[in-house]
Amino acid sequence: MVQSKRQRNLFLAFCLVPTFLLFAVFTLYPLFNGLYYSFFKWSGASSLAEFVGFDNYRRLFSDDIIPSTIWHDYFLVITKVFGIMILSTFFAVALTQMKIKEAPFYRIVFFFPNIMSVVVIGILWMFIYNPSLGLVNSGLELIGLESWTRPWLGSEDWALPSLVLPSVWAGIGLFMLMLMGGISNISKSYYEAAEIDGATEWQQFWKVTLPLIWPQIKISILYIIITTLNGSFIIVQVMTKGGPNNSTHVMGSYLYEQAFVKYNFGYGATIGVMILILSLVTVLIMQFLMRREKVEY
Amino acid sequence: MQKASIFSRTIVRIPLIIWSLAVLYPIFWMVLGAFKSNAEIYANPWGLPESFSFSNFVDAWSNYNIDASVFNSFIVTGLGATLTLAMAIPTSYALERMRFRGNRLLFTLYISAMMIPMVLGWIPLFFLLMQLNLLDNIFGLSIVYAVSQLPFSIFVLTSFMATIPKSLEEAAAIDGMSPYGILWKIITPLSTTGIITVTIMNMIQFWNEYFMALIFLQSEENYTLALAIDYISNETQYTNAWGTLFASLVIAIVPVIVLYAIFQRRIVKGMTEGAIKG
Repeated sequence: MVQSKRQRNLFLAFCLVPTFLLFAVFTLYPLFNGLYYSFFKWSGASSLAEFVGFDNYRRLFSDDIIPSTIWHDYFLVITKVFGIMILSTFFAVALTQMKIKEAPFYRIVFFFPNIMSVVVIGILWMFIYNPSLGLVNSGLELIGLESWTRPWLGSEDWALPSLVLPSVWAGIGLFMLMLMGGISNISKSYYEAAEIDGATEWQQFWKVTLPLIWPQIKISILYIIITTLNGSFIIVQVMTKGGPNNSTHVMGSYLYEQAFVKYNFGYGATIGVMILILSLVTVLIMQFLMRREKVEY
Repeated sequence: MQKASIFSRTIVRIPLIIWSLAVLYPIFWMVLGAFKSNAEIYANPWGLPESFSFSNFVDAWSNYNIDASVFNSFIVTGLGATLTLAMAIPTSYALERMRFRGNRLLFTLYISAMMIPMVLGWIPLFFLLMQLNLLDNIFGLSIVYAVSQLPFSIFVLTSFMATIPKSLEEAAAIDGMSPYGILWKIITPLSTTGIITVTIMNMIQFWNEYFMALIFLQSEENYTLALAIDYISNETQYTNAWGTLFASLVIAIVPVIVLYAIFQRRIVKGMTEGAIKG
């Protein structure tokens, strides 16, 4: 290479510096500044920011709504993890192991909601849940279960569980494909050996398939946890805006309300710090719980 | 064994068909609803339309600002995707091919940003954009979008560039080509597949994005499509103009369907690989 050190460094700077500057200004600086704001009482006008030490954190611990927002987030995490993983594992096994001719059709259809906008998904499901026009209530009436009909998103008890279905509906495809990738890498000889040993299809699933796609399952679960804790507020904002009576507020939607509706920017930032800490701690704990020796036969 | 398989295959098809219907039915009726009058939606919400009418589209397009918001969404999507590439390609090349102190650290920094909840950063970002006069500005939003997809783009592009043989660059360097020339004339064309994957993913992301637009845009003439639809949806509670709402949803979803039809494999690959990074 005929290239002076100076020229090389210049090229390196050309490649890295502009990008890093933008990344620093629009990602790193806001994150650290968010931490900093959490120690201020601030309604937006820059001259009026008042340093209050840990007051926002004290408020966080005495705010009655905070524990319910945390619970709502983890409710969504748990129901989504189980709903998505059970269905997508079943579909992944069915589409790879059962030699179904029209498998590509299912693959294409199941994945499509993954690339729809949350706004479209949310509004579509608001209509499905609509008390008078929606599919859920008219379906229940059709099969004679009038007593089960209710204003799903308008009910304090049912609004939060009603948000699970759209999330599962929209999430299945991606995780199904990730698991299918894992299953198609399993050598056929394991199944042949299992069959010679007289293992039923059910046993083959538990003893061969599941252990061998554990890495994919683990990644999928972590991914659902991260995207839910960092993004569940989007569907909440579209479908219920945290209502009725705060019964669907998650941490992110409460942050949005405090900061951008009520202009408590300092307190909003404190909620943001809580989200950051909880999501990092949860991921670390889950990584520890799901660690498992890599299976090799 | 064989007989059992045929039997279980039939059983297994039932949930597959049910789930296909659960996915397709609402989307299908949303499209049909866009062609129905409001009276028809009320009389028979999940039935076929009696006659196809485009009046809902006309209403959404001209009375609910969908025309302006489609334009804004195109700008944000196009500009955002272009900016992401301009930032990600040189950085990915340097991170993948050049040895310098802090290489691993910088790569880890970019990648770990994918796991951090950005919602904390949005409050300061709001004031930063205000100071830069980029608040309520679709160009400001494009920059924010571009930077937000930078980690994902760097992740995909570095792993793609790792598959390009080094000998090509070495030969070009011996022929006296500058590193800028190598990046522009050799690496970039050879990374086309990766670049297309990243760009499609980013475009879908920007076209669909809702929450950052909600925070960083305020006046109606700057609304992106997601915001305009959300606005119509909130109005629908009072006007009950479901047909107009459905028409605007169809307008939002058509470009995504077209991209999915053309690039189905790439989109699937891009998303599954993007998820596996964690």
